[in-house]
Amino acid sequence: MKGTFTGKRALILGGSCELALTLAQSMIEASLYPILTYRSDRGLQAISESMLPFAGRFESHYLNFGERETLDTLFTDIAEDLDVLIDFVNDDYESLVASADEDMTCRYFTENVSFRAWILKRAGRAMLKKRKGRLIYISSTAAERPNPGQGFYAAAKRASEALYLNMGLEMAGRGITVAILRPGYVNAGRGAAYIRRKGKAVLDKVPTNRAITREQIAHTILFLLSDGGDGINGTVVTMDGGLTSGK
Amino acid sequence: MNIFAEIEKILAELLDLEDSDITPDTYLIKDLGAESIDLLELAVAINNRFKIPVKDDDIFLGCFRHYMSEAEQQMADTVPYIAEKYPFLTKDRIKEIAARTVEGPQLKIRDLVDYVTYQLERARHAGNDDS
Repeated sequence: MKGTFTGKRALILGGSCELALTLAQSMIEASLYPILTYRSDRGLQAISESMLPFAGRFESHYLNFGERETLDTLFTDIAEDLDVLIDFVNDDYESLVASADEDMTCRYFTENVSFRAWILKRAGRAMLKKRKGRLIYISSTAAERPNPGQGFYAAAKRASEALYLNMGLEMAGRGITVAILRPGYVNAGRGAAYIRRKGKAVLDKVPTNRAITREQIAHTILFLLSDGGDGINGTVVTMDGGLTSGK
Repeated sequence: MNIFAEIEKILAELLDLEDSDITPDTYLIKDLGAESIDLLELAVAINNRFKIPVKDDDIFLGCFRHYMSEAEQQMADTVPYIAEKYPFLTKDRIKEIAARTVEGPQLKIRDLVDYVTYQLERARHAGNDDS
């Protein structure tokens, strides 16, 4: 994709998922420099394998939303130098609200909402030094239309969206803007497994009868990151083939 | 290092002040019209310039009124209670602020200077302890 980009250093949280890896490769082709985070040996392995042809054109760092000190280490390691933040981290806790374990509830929100607020604080302050920055949060249509059992996931997504959107509101005057992308059914990772499990009935609910591809997600994010997409601030872009537009 | 002069320089740049009449008794919000986003930038700039940890709620006395009300609820003496929370403020300064909180934000440039001085001193002691 052709486009002009003001900043180059792009921190990608949840950097070992299929969507992040597809995006990272497109970014490198667009002369951006992805900094991918992982939280397990398996994640590091996925990054190493997928990014093998791009050695020297990206970095990978450990970040675990369950270990607060890893955030300090990450920001020290990248010298607080970043132009872009893309957040794919996507933990799930599937439970009916009335069945949920109390300790798990606390842990889930600490890791998926509070930790995100700490990241935004660090990233916002780092970007403020440059008076320029772009943040993209990858949410989900589940934030708007959860299924039974997705209450915690939806709550964390909506809370995280609210934090991101407020950053866009508060810091746009200093050149730091935010966009949220809400994909619907995506043919990658957990989404692909869900579609396989549920079969054709899932895609029949989508007006386009198709899942979103990871290439489409990467393409859209690159547009949002480009100088052309810069005006999209403090708002949600839904990319679901029309899934949530009707009954 | 002249901490006041450094802070004055940062403020002149951030708030686009031309002929700066800033003194230690200048009010940051009332006189200079600093808004919350300016304070955030100032915190980042101070952290950057002096290489000290900056807690926004501390340096800008963000919880002063909250601590006053906590002291009252716990039937504690206000000044020592707040001195524990803001160890960089003198007791006289705490009394002065406490007496005037109803008039609006009381943050002065001297409070920033005192915060930076306190943090630099702490860092120096920590360095001495390490050696």
